[in-house]
Amino acid sequence: MTQPVSLCEGIETLSMAYLDDELAAEERRELELHLVECASCRRHLDAERADIELVRSALVAPPAPDLLKARIATMLDAEDRVAARVERSRWTRYVLPGSAVFAAAAALLVFLGVGMQPPEARRIATAPREVVRQQTRSLPLEVQGASTGSWLRQHFAPVEPPRFTEPGIQLVGARATAIQGHDAALLRYLVNVGSNRVSLTAVLIANVPDELFSGGDPVRVGGLTLHLHDANGLPAVSYIDENRMGYVFTSERMTAGELLSLVGTSDLIGRAQQLR
Amino acid sequence: MLATREKRAEFERQALVHTDALYGAAYRLTRNARDAEDLVQDSLLRAYRFWDSFEQDSNCKAWLLRIVTNTFINEYQRKKRSREVLDAASAEQSTTDGVLVHAESSAQRSPERLLLDRSVSDDVQRALDALPDDFRTAVVLCDVQGLSYKEIAEIMQTPVGTVMSRLFRGRKLLAAALREFAIDQGYVRETPAPGATVPDTKVDKTIDLEKYRAEKKAREGSR
Repeated sequence: MTQPVSLCEGIETLSMAYLDDELAAEERRELELHLVECASCRRHLDAERADIELVRSALVAPPAPDLLKARIATMLDAEDRVAARVERSRWTRYVLPGSAVFAAAAALLVFLGVGMQPPEARRIATAPREVVRQQTRSLPLEVQGASTGSWLRQHFAPVEPPRFTEPGIQLVGARATAIQGHDAALLRYLVNVGSNRVSLTAVLIANVPDELFSGGDPVRVGGLTLHLHDANGLPAVSYIDENRMGYVFTSERMTAGELLSLVGTSDLIGRAQQLR
Repeated sequence: MLATREKRAEFERQALVHTDALYGAAYRLTRNARDAEDLVQDSLLRAYRFWDSFEQDSNCKAWLLRIVTNTFINEYQRKKRSREVLDAASAEQSTTDGVLVHAESSAQRSPERLLLDRSVSDDVQRALDALPDDFRTAVVLCDVQGLSYKEIAEIMQTPVGTVMSRLFRGRKLLAAALREFAIDQGYVRETPAPGATVPDTKVDKTIDLEKYRAEKKAREGSR
């Protein structure tokens, strides 16, 4: 017999390495030949295989929750914002990227016509600034996923979360908040900007007085007048509907043009047009 | 601005696609959904800040897992230890003769804690709880992430032989604990499963491919 004793002696090492696909081709062949003849080593390999399969099947882990992905997006946004502040002046935020859609280009033309003075010179409205301040704090959402709509109606007001006709926009969840003493609901969305997935915050404020939203530049989009604000260097878009429900949209990762074009595809426009 | 956008796009394309995998590893390492989320978030922030130091052609997933593992070992374990000093219910697991024993100490736990435990943990997490960290890390990197011995050795900064030993013992302990729970809950009858081998942690067996190869070579040479 040419059977080397060492195969049986080293079977624990060999069978594990064999099952983990860590043996060299030659070692593999040698072990397979040995297994044909050696029932004891065969039993050992089977036992080892059963253990590994049990462990692997038990350890299959759940995927990352959507909320975590949203938190990561927000965190990276904040990180980028710090880098961007160093890199560029606030003015460049208002430069529209070449890829922006027609609606945004049209909106921007109106915007440029109205608000040529530097953003610093304009009075900054309280509500959008407060919204921007709130969205940069990553407080946990109270509700997420499909039940966000019913949560909003139950805990805030009889209103639907804004929806967008642009594809790929996902409502992540919401939490209750307050803006300058007014009841408000903060909704978080994930949005595609180019190849990036970025977070968008929408804050709904009930029974909002006009002065809370003053100071922005009026922009006509789809027959509606939205207001574009510079809130601490970030763009924010606001709108007050016929029920005095105030909306503020902002994102740390979108330019003013991108934000305007996105809000321009929201059903706020549709709702208002139906009423007319 | 362009540089920031490009960096972010690159990071999303190469790193964020592994978020599910990182969460899976973190979930099994921390045995707790909340800690796992924090661990993944902290690790990705660290990765993003050090993105320039990532060598573009190397294995991004392995690089990220190293950050997750190191962050876990350095911070979460320390945090956990300081928490355990305050937590009277910490001594719920013990290892006797290599067989895992899990004693429910529900009476000592707050209702919130119980609810949380029930919602995020299961037998698997309890079985993992009782494993020494080094064993658990080796098993998670191999059996959850499918990394090679060499990659695990680099992450854990130990020789391949050490990885193999930890992996071998970790799997044996875990498999035994899982069968134990299955018997307790009546999923299986109390006869040893065909693959069941009683883990023997007292005998310090050598599970080391390099050593095996060296010994085999020496033996063949002397023949």
